Amino acid sequence: MHLLEILSWLILALPLAAFAVQMAVGARLPRYGDFISIGAISLSLVFCLLVFFRVIVLEYSPDYVFAVSYPWFSGGSIEFRWGFYIDNVTAFMLVVVGVVSTLVHIYSVGYMHGEENYHRFFAYLGLFSFSMFLLVLCDNLFTLYIAWELVGVSSYLLIGFYYTKHSAANACIKAFLTTRVGDVFMFLGILLLVLYTGQLAYHDVFNAVAHGEISGTVLTIAIVCLFGGAVGKSAQFPLHVWLPDAMEGPTPVSALIHAATMVAAGVYMVGRMFPMFSQSAEAMLVIAYIGLITAFFAATIAITQNDIKRVLAYSTISQLGYMVTALGVGAYTAGLYHLMTHAFFKALLFLCSGSVIHAAHTQDMREMGGLRKKMPITFATMLIGTLAIAGVPFFSGFGSKDAIMAGALAFGSEHGAHMTIFIGLFVAAGMTAFYMFRLIFMTFYGESRNQHSYDHAHESPASMTVPLLILAVLSIAGGFGLYGGLWFNHLVVPPALQEAAHAAAEHGGEHGGAHGEAWIHYGAMGLSIFVAALGIFLSWVVYGVKWISAEKTAAAIRPIYQLSFNKYYVDEFYQKIVIAFVLWIRKVLAAFDRIVIDGIVNLTAPLMRGGATFSGGFDHYVVDGVLNLGALIVQAAGSVSVMLQNGVIQSYILKAAIAAAVILVVHQYIQFWL
Amino acid sequence: MGNIESLAYFIPELILTATVLAVLFADVLGGEREGFDPPANFAFVGCVAAFLAHFTLYSLPSTPLFNGILIHDPFGAFFKGFFIFCTGVTTAMVIVSREVARFKKGEFCVIILCVCIGMCLVAASRDLLMIYLSLELMSLGSYVMAGFSRKIGPSEEASLKFVLYGGVSTGIMLFGISLLYGLTGGTSFEAVRSALAGAGSGIEPIAFLALLMVLVGVGYKVAMVPFHFWAPDVYEGAPTAVTAFLSVASKGTGFALLIRFFFSVFMQPAEGGWATLAPLHFDWGLTIAVLSAITMTVGNIGAYPQTNLKRLLAYSGVAHAGYLLMGVSLMTSTGVEAVIFYLVMYLFTNMTAFFVILVVSESLGTERIAGFRGLWRGAPVAAFMMTLALFSLVGLPPTAGFVGKLYLFYAVLQQKLYWLAVIGVLNSVLSLYYYARIIKAMYLETSSETEPAVHSSPLAGLILIVMAAPVLYFGVFWNPLVEYARYCAHLMQ
Repeated sequence: MHLLEILSWLILALPLAAFAVQMAVGARLPRYGDFISIGAISLSLVFCLLVFFRVIVLEYSPDYVFAVSYPWFSGGSIEFRWGFYIDNVTAFMLVVVGVVSTLVHIYSVGYMHGEENYHRFFAYLGLFSFSMFLLVLCDNLFTLYIAWELVGVSSYLLIGFYYTKHSAANACIKAFLTTRVGDVFMFLGILLLVLYTGQLAYHDVFNAVAHGEISGTVLTIAIVCLFGGAVGKSAQFPLHVWLPDAMEGPTPVSALIHAATMVAAGVYMVGRMFPMFSQSAEAMLVIAYIGLITAFFAATIAITQNDIKRVLAYSTISQLGYMVTALGVGAYTAGLYHLMTHAFFKALLFLCSGSVIHAAHTQDMREMGGLRKKMPITFATMLIGTLAIAGVPFFSGFGSKDAIMAGALAFGSEHGAHMTIFIGLFVAAGMTAFYMFRLIFMTFYGESRNQHSYDHAHESPASMTVPLLILAVLSIAGGFGLYGGLWFNHLVVPPALQEAAHAAAEHGGEHGGAHGEAWIHYGAMGLSIFVAALGIFLSWVVYGVKWISAEKTAAAIRPIYQLSFNKYYVDEFYQKIVIAFVLWIRKVLAAFDRIVIDGIVNLTAPLMRGGATFSGGFDHYVVDGVLNLGALIVQAAGSVSVMLQNGVIQSYILKAAIAAAVILVVHQYIQFWL
Repeated sequence: MGNIESLAYFIPELILTATVLAVLFADVLGGEREGFDPPANFAFVGCVAAFLAHFTLYSLPSTPLFNGILIHDPFGAFFKGFFIFCTGVTTAMVIVSREVARFKKGEFCVIILCVCIGMCLVAASRDLLMIYLSLELMSLGSYVMAGFSRKIGPSEEASLKFVLYGGVSTGIMLFGISLLYGLTGGTSFEAVRSALAGAGSGIEPIAFLALLMVLVGVGYKVAMVPFHFWAPDVYEGAPTAVTAFLSVASKGTGFALLIRFFFSVFMQPAEGGWATLAPLHFDWGLTIAVLSAITMTVGNIGAYPQTNLKRLLAYSGVAHAGYLLMGVSLMTSTGVEAVIFYLVMYLFTNMTAFFVILVVSESLGTERIAGFRGLWRGAPVAAFMMTLALFSLVGLPPTAGFVGKLYLFYAVLQQKLYWLAVIGVLNSVLSLYYYARIIKAMYLETSSETEPAVHSSPLAGLILIVMAAPVLYFGVFWNPLVEYARYCAHLMQ
């Protein structure tokens, strides 16, 4: 076995084993077995790093691929296989998932301390990590779908961890159902691909696409359907409604699943299927605009929210929109780069917010204030995360976001009509800086607005602050080698269809980023620095020194404020539309029943009357003579058969088994005689 | 043939699937409002559409479908039509009766449509895995359907017995299938057959064990003695529409499976029919012949003391399984033709009989023979139809049953199995007595109570006429049906 194969198995097996152990005996172990989960995930992380080291450092090549597959099942003449597929993207995703997962495990020791079902929480985390690793490692669409659903299930379990809390129970169902809507589309997409190509493995599918086995409108439909899965999982408009509600789950869960890993799965999938996706310009445009709408509107909502976790939730949706847009405009490297940097700084922000909530015992930012002095580490790390997401130079978010903007600008300069994408992203970047610093100012600066909780606030234990520090370092370090992601660019090269590699290269797989013209690159960089500075400044004016009153401004633009505060009424819209639709369908069905079916029935009445008259003349005495023939003799024989039929099912089965054995024996003897 | 191209051969199933979705949808939206019953109507319309669509299949060439997991040939097309027709009739029975609670009709229709899809797949499978999956699809639905009656007690008992017995039988069958897989390492019929043909005679005992185990599963489906014990209890307890469905469609599935599976796996084409695969010496046709003789005798004798009509028809169904098995045991194309003809005849005849029982028992509240006393005065149409059906079941001219038996016995005599023909004829005579008892009750006896008044809707009458007319028609003009059966007896190996 190849080393990578062994490592892949181990990476998968350890969290799964931890899950099994925790579910089985976790409650009876000392410390409720948290050390088992942490040990398992840490080892997995070590193996992930080994894979990374091997793939990226030792055997680096831009199109490094390691693939191994095993027979799975066969039907007819098709044989299905599943296996591992490791390239540079896989390697870096493994590290992202491993690092965040491990840190969240450790953080949870402090955060979940003393909770009921503590061991089960770790079990679910293990299940989630396993599913996520599987999703990253697998080499075919079907396994991807299974992992996809497993991730959904563990997310469901974790959101609903406080299942006695009504809102949490509702939220987990909502999350599951909403993402299912996307998953149905994804499944349809997979089915379409399998129907047309007969293949499941990524590479075989790509080859089939390169050979034109599926193309044109069908390919576009298949891609858009597949993307539907990403819309659900990555909380893109219009299926984003579940993510803010999912914040009902414990905060480490929000950090792990709803910021860094699971929600990025959709982006990862799009990236994985990129060679195929890029074959359909229409589909790519759909993707770009869905991403843009998401990025923009989620940012406007985040400005008005008061719940610290909801601000972060909408910010996550918005950032995911950025990644999706990046992939849509062909800035493949930038999208994945942002996925990585975002995973680190958003996990950091969530964990910081958890630390704040842990101390202040509230999630409402209006109740906080001045926490800077009480919680210096949390404050410092959260500030780093905020600077990163706002796109301030020398922090990780800057490089990645800048690359996306450059990609969008390049796309816009190529297709003038789509400059909207760049402008939308540009404005959204300003809003990002604004609402993130609003969060910082409201939480950590000014006077405390709730003296009681302020007095009780204190810095969190080391198990919580250490992960914060590590993530803070990563949030800065992730940006080194930045400016278009110099090293990352080399790490992750836009893939092309194997057989169509030359053609794809001519078309230019990458529109923006490093390959773009210089003015695009520096223009985008300058603009993004400017807009970030502007956002931060405005935020400082409003929430820092309060030259402008937030309340008065809100009152002045009240309709817009209400729209944003109520999240554009999307939830209400769904409820109204679904109900109206159902009522309408009911009416149609009732009409069908009344007109068509009743009409047929009424027609039959005259037919029946004719039939009745005809049959009246039947001579019934004909049968008389036949009846008494040999009746009594056979009646006696009948009772024997009835005795066997005693109504007891056990005896029936026994009789059948004995009879089968008798047939076997008798048959063998007959064959012998013959 | 690849997946996309195969879809053209899959239209009836696709229509059924779409209907399932439509019914589900309508059912969810319809709720429990009284007087709002589109789900069942949708299901009926869907069955009609699928039945019409299945006629397109006959013009298509025989070919493996979906990368060889299914197959299209006239034999499969016939059974698809057969199952869809049964499903349509059963749905109609459910629509006009009150046996299934109104708000549960949608649910019921979803299940029966799924069962129908399963049956269609059984008839078209050529892969061990597919056979088992599609069988389970139909079985699981059937179990639920058996428990759908308003009469809670007996129906539940029927359902439970059905589940237990069915579970054990299909379990044994699965074991047999796994033995075959172990012997040959393939799941497609082709692979299994060529592996068996290539193996030495040393595998014979195991191969026969596998065959027998699969036969247990099939025997349970067709209610073959000694695997028939479930039938009387389930037929009696289940809703009448379901009993009718089980007695015809489920039996048909068994025969489709028996012929498709056994003839494709253990047989090879020979002059005028099939012969056992070269390295296997056992004459399992003889085993089937003996079992068929036992089956018809046990069925007919068991029917004698019955007083409940559904139970009586259950035993009669066992007897008919015996007749049909006779046709299979011959392993000739004449035999298969006779089986197909007989199945069509049995479909119309049995459905008519059960429909009359349904209509009468709903009005009179009894399924006992005694309840049918003097029926001809209260309901001449129903009594006449019942008589026609019973004549056909006995095999008296001029009904389709007569022609069906004629062809069966002709096929048997062609193979010079005189003893089997004699037993068959004797059994036909035997059966006359218990069928005639019903006719006697309807025409010659008078009810001790007041005149039985049967109320039925015009729709019910229409269905009854549609079902009974072919019994008479094919009894007089049987040639088209014979031609059709001859065409449908073509099995693609």
